[in-house]
Amino acid sequence: MEEHKVEEGAQFLTRRKFFALGAASAGAIGMAGLTDVTSASASAAVSTLRVGWTTPPDVMNPFTFTTTASNEILWLIYDTLLEYNLQLNPEPSLAAKSSMSADGKSFTYQLRSGVKWHDGKPFSANDVKYTFEIMAKHNLGQAAWSLADFDSVVIVNANKVTVNYKKPQAFDPALAIPIVPFHIWGAMTPSKILSYNNPNPVGTGPYKFKKWVSGQYVQVDRNANWWGKQPAAKSIIWTQFENSDVMVQSLASGQLDILTEVPPVLWNGLKGKANVKPVEMESFSFHHIGINVSKNPKSGGNPLLLDRTVRQALGYSLDRAQLVELALAGHGIPGSVQLPPSFGKWQEKIPSSEQINNNPGKAKKILDAAGYHVGSNGIRQDKHGKQLSFRLIAIATTDEDVLAGQMFVKSAEAVGIKLTLETLDGTTLGNIVYNNNPNWDIFIWGWDSGTPDPDYLLSVPLTDQIGNNNDVFYANPTYDALYNKQATTPNPAQRVPLVHDIQKLFYEDAAYLVMWYQSKLQAYRTDTWKGWVPTRGGMVYNFTRDNYLKITPR
Amino acid sequence: MSVRYLAKKLTTLVVTLYVTVSFNFLLFHVLPGSPIQLLARSGHYDPAARAQLVKLFGLNHSLFTQYFIYLKNMLHGDLGFSYVFRKPVTTVLGGAIGNTLLLVGTATLVTILVGVWLGVMAASRAHSLTDASITVTSLGLWSMPDFFTGMILIFICGVWTHILPISGLVTPGLVTGPWGHFVDVARHLVLPALTLTFVNAAEFSLISRNTLVDVMVEDYMLTARAKGLRRRTIVWRHALRNAMLPIVTATALYVGMILGGAIQVETVFSWPGMGLLIYNSVVQRDYPVLEGCFLLFAIAVIATNFISDLLYQVLDPRVRRT
Repeated sequence: MEEHKVEEGAQFLTRRKFFALGAASAGAIGMAGLTDVTSASASAAVSTLRVGWTTPPDVMNPFTFTTTASNEILWLIYDTLLEYNLQLNPEPSLAAKSSMSADGKSFTYQLRSGVKWHDGKPFSANDVKYTFEIMAKHNLGQAAWSLADFDSVVIVNANKVTVNYKKPQAFDPALAIPIVPFHIWGAMTPSKILSYNNPNPVGTGPYKFKKWVSGQYVQVDRNANWWGKQPAAKSIIWTQFENSDVMVQSLASGQLDILTEVPPVLWNGLKGKANVKPVEMESFSFHHIGINVSKNPKSGGNPLLLDRTVRQALGYSLDRAQLVELALAGHGIPGSVQLPPSFGKWQEKIPSSEQINNNPGKAKKILDAAGYHVGSNGIRQDKHGKQLSFRLIAIATTDEDVLAGQMFVKSAEAVGIKLTLETLDGTTLGNIVYNNNPNWDIFIWGWDSGTPDPDYLLSVPLTDQIGNNNDVFYANPTYDALYNKQATTPNPAQRVPLVHDIQKLFYEDAAYLVMWYQSKLQAYRTDTWKGWVPTRGGMVYNFTRDNYLKITPR
Repeated sequence: MSVRYLAKKLTTLVVTLYVTVSFNFLLFHVLPGSPIQLLARSGHYDPAARAQLVKLFGLNHSLFTQYFIYLKNMLHGDLGFSYVFRKPVTTVLGGAIGNTLLLVGTATLVTILVGVWLGVMAASRAHSLTDASITVTSLGLWSMPDFFTGMILIFICGVWTHILPISGLVTPGLVTGPWGHFVDVARHLVLPALTLTFVNAAEFSLISRNTLVDVMVEDYMLTARAKGLRRRTIVWRHALRNAMLPIVTATALYVGMILGGAIQVETVFSWPGMGLLIYNSVVQRDYPVLEGCFLLFAIAVIATNFISDLLYQVLDPRVRRT
């Protein structure tokens, strides 16, 4: 009994000590809170623009980067000869003036004078010549595709260059080629360029590279010697988040000024929050169902999918409005052709009565007419008894694609086609789809356009893109011929009908069933910076850098 | 401890390492899919550029040759070149290891101290209200997923009260001296480290409580009490020492895992440590970085086990005799 009393006493003592300890730690956190307030007010001076994203940059090498995030940063460090303004129209940049020859094969650029690289060395026509030549010759950089017909660069005088192409060019590559300094890159071999991580990028652009804390943030500082009007933000910092919830909370609590991408549900949650404005804009992206139409005898795809009727029937079974409603929470536009509506006049508008969409009756009718009759198990089969039963693969972590896949399985079943959905990680799916002997039937993923010009997205299904971007192994000489014609027609009035024809052709061939054009969802704080202009493609993370250069402190 | 014992243990250590290293190499090179194809998808490389990449990363050699090149380079401290970062793997790993050691190392230290302390508190008042509440609370926290506890702390400390930073390792762009930098990092460290401690302390408190409860009823405990020793001395010096073995085992396992990082907590708090690096490398098929990571883990686990084997010898005379 005595022992019990001792224990009681000890217990009491411990509990009191425990409380004391608790109070002490609460005090420590409280003090930390005090320092937080001071450091926040010191660092949040509205001279720095703070951007949040969940998509980290890869390298700062303009020849080898592959991420949009690297592009976003590099496009403020390097200048292009021409650039896109907020309306996504070309305007002068490092070239003060430009002109095209009558045959559309030569472009002459009047370069700005007195321009200096960030390291103080003078910029010259020789840098332009070097950049175009090395990119074209060794297929380097994201924009190398635009230099397929490159011929030569001629230095007319110190401030004037002419770039010659073998064919007329509808798209001026000067909009996509970042000009790099010869004095830094000129001595490197192509393989050295490929492996170089360019720790301290030197450009002529409005911002100078300051630092990159790997996995944390990238900072650039204003270039006081830039040729254009000085932007208001002294520094821009892109902070990396691994979790969208935390990123959105950081915007709401004032630690960030703008977000490059906000998931739909979190975006909805930002509506009505104080000092935060969520913005929905058109994007240059779509998600599609891709069907293996490879004619390679080694292809493992189901040969029944080579029949256009079957592909169209799959297209008719889908209700795209419902897909947008359920998979994107309404933040998108039902899909049809391969160019999103953000392309404006370039997009072929298919009347809804003619769309291969949401018409299960028509699907059944064309399948019946083509001799695919419903078997005893409810699945249609051809006259040899081969069932319309296909494998469907999607990326497990892309929720909207998985949901769309599940809905697709149901809608196809309703017209007598069996789909078996399997989800994989993105890399594995990419490796399966891009196998030279493709052993798959149907997949789901998407494309972003590399430019606001239609050329890039139209180039994807080209025969010579098999083994590169062509994800459905589509091969159609008529398509290729039409593509080449539009790509070499610089006059927009003549080019528009060609671009329309090619989309219609590809649409009716139904190797792509475009599901939707998703919206670009961004959000910014209204109490720090003002002047954000919503633009198709996004205020930031877009082809134009003008929002970064034109915002002003509130 | 005999020299023979040490030699035997060391031999096992070297052989285990060699087997792990070879398996590590094979594992990543027999996997289907080519990283070059992955780079090419978004990079629009033509065949010539692709061939250059293949050569750059040494993928043009036979698997066998690649293996020997790998071994030779490894012995020279060269773990290869990251496909994604275009930097030496040692550089990529270096940054992540530092960050992980800071987070998981601090958290582990606190976890063990707090866990054992709670265990001792519970055991010395076995079957009391204190015991029950410590056990129930720690079990409750243990059963919560890391990310959930992390999110709750984020909401309390970052969103409602703004007392602590909720993301990253440093305040982006903050210009300050060494002391300011230290304080900045320390403040960023609090929430993720606290999360790990909350979730993991139970492991140590339960192990130490249960072994201690067993030890406390031994005859020599009664003897100690009969000698008139103070209760605290009895518990901390006599009982805990004899309850140490399972705690050392758990610690060894735990420390071996430190380098693995804490992927969920690193994700929630955007802490650029090993967990995140491994996850991203898996997604991006960055073989050289993955190989480097797994090599490090192998070394860490094998080394801590080696050390704990030696520690047993010191702590437990019975092991010494066998």
